[in-house]
Amino acid sequence: MRVLRFVLRRLLQLVPVLLGVVILTFLLVRVLPGDPIKTILGPNASEADAAAARARFGLDQPLWQQFLDYLGGLVTGDFGTSIQSGGAVASEMAVRLGPTLELVVIALIIALVIATVLGIWSARRAGGAGDHTVRVGALVGNSVPEFWLGLVLILVVYSVLGWAPAPSGRVDPDTNLSLITGADLLDAALTANGPAFLSALHHLMLPVATLVIVIVAPLLRSVRASALEVLRSEAYTAAATHGLRDRLLLRGYLLRATLARLPALAALVFGFAIGSTVLIEYVFSWQGFGQWALRGLLFRDYPVVQASVLVIALLYVLVFLIADVVQAILDPRVRI
Amino acid sequence: MARTARTKERFASSLIVVGSAILITVVLAALFAPLLSSWGPEEIDPAASLAAPGGAHLLGTDLNGMDVWSRVLYAARLDLGVAVASVALAVVAGSLIGLVAGYRGGLLDDALMRVLDIFQAFPTFILALAVAALLGGGVANLIAVVALVNAPAYARLVRAEVRAIRDLPFVEAARTSGSSTWSVLWRHVLPNSLTPVRVIAPLNCGWAMLTLAGLSFLGLGIPTPEAEWGAMISLGAGDVVAGRWWTSVPPGLCLLICVLGFSLLGEGLQERADSKRR
Repeated sequence: MRVLRFVLRRLLQLVPVLLGVVILTFLLVRVLPGDPIKTILGPNASEADAAAARARFGLDQPLWQQFLDYLGGLVTGDFGTSIQSGGAVASEMAVRLGPTLELVVIALIIALVIATVLGIWSARRAGGAGDHTVRVGALVGNSVPEFWLGLVLILVVYSVLGWAPAPSGRVDPDTNLSLITGADLLDAALTANGPAFLSALHHLMLPVATLVIVIVAPLLRSVRASALEVLRSEAYTAAATHGLRDRLLLRGYLLRATLARLPALAALVFGFAIGSTVLIEYVFSWQGFGQWALRGLLFRDYPVVQASVLVIALLYVLVFLIADVVQAILDPRVRI
Repeated sequence: MARTARTKERFASSLIVVGSAILITVVLAALFAPLLSSWGPEEIDPAASLAAPGGAHLLGTDLNGMDVWSRVLYAARLDLGVAVASVALAVVAGSLIGLVAGYRGGLLDDALMRVLDIFQAFPTFILALAVAALLGGGVANLIAVVALVNAPAYARLVRAEVRAIRDLPFVEAARTSGSSTWSVLWRHVLPNSLTPVRVIAPLNCGWAMLTLAGLSFLGLGIPTPEAEWGAMISLGAGDVVAGRWWTSVPPGLCLLICVLGFSLLGEGLQERADSKRR
């Protein structure tokens, strides 16, 4: 009950922030230079053609009218019509979100496992050579440009070794995968398409590896820091001096207390991963949400820009909300 | 405990030394680029496009027949310059906002924080990407964009510090002795609320550099032919599939090393600050 009240209160607090995002995006995309009509008609279009196209997308209306129309659509889940493609933004976005979320979620899970294991290992050897190696390794991971790392992996694993598929597309076209969610692994599993599942896994290998390497570093640093705090706490010292077995100390005391801090961190890293994915999608021609949003920005496709900005903000603040709830469940000291 | 304190201090020092050494090397390479390479950064060798390393071109040439080694060196000027300038701008703007919001409090503070909420509802790289795409590339715009996405974090940091010290006796004393608000802020509050900023700024420079290069990689940053690491990697991206490494690996490696320099320096400073506090 209390959790529910907390969630509701937080959702209410999100409304003004998201409304601010909507207004700001709506205005900025129109105020800053660039004209979506020019990008579809080309430079040689006549004034009459341009005016007709403008009217077709409602861009001839006064600004406040456009905004009200847009807001009215949003309430009913209508994100408008793409100026570039003429398709409904909501359905275009739906098939683009799947591939990107698949990439991010798989990488995040792998990174969380690696970070937890290595972070605790490192914290228990704090100040030793192994700990220092892990920390410098994390610093290197923190400093590597993900788009370059992706290219290096393509160079080594595809061009030289030939172990990975060519960096274009997410699944072999001849596996006849039918599109359901856009997340290829899920779609293949749902349609019991074995070859497509393997092909999707194969294509995921390098982009996931790239993303894992860049997001494991900040996670690792934070896991180590919180494990270190637990190790220095009085509760842990007391348990250790009472002569509890190593295994019990590790599982019952260290692991649980360390993991309780992980959700907030994972949320932060999720945002970081979304940013990295735009670059990684570009490198691997992933055709996901990032590339779609980037194209929208470049062509000043107002509805696409507005929708993608809003969805990213929504996703980001919701993930933080979920993280807070999970944290409250894991950590009995947190009261919400 | 004394022994661990000493290893901590030694580890912090070695991080700072290695980080500084890397950064000094990069600065020197950027300054003396004309002496270290015989080609200009935008000079085209008509006889060589995509020439392999060796011979007249130490690291080969790119698609346009430009010398990779020379471009990698000259690019350090731009990447380093933009990163440092944008972080400096973010620190100044952010500190100012945080200072005013934290000291004044009340409605102004609330309003400013709600605006920051909107900016912080986005992952930073996404925000930078969107603004850069709408604003257009170029050095001045990029400095502004990277500063804009970083400033909220500094504003919050400084605001928190200011709120913690604004009612301390020494500030109270300055106020009651008749100093003007600005003089209290400038001479007493600001200097004492910049400690966390000093530790974060170097780390932030590395991040700013990655952002700049990432934007250029997507074609939103520095336009080619200007020598910039991210744009160079972008130009060489297609070569990788054909096994030509020299157009994209060297600029990325330079970027990695330079960012690592900032990371090592920042981590060392943080470690030292931690061990002092304990």
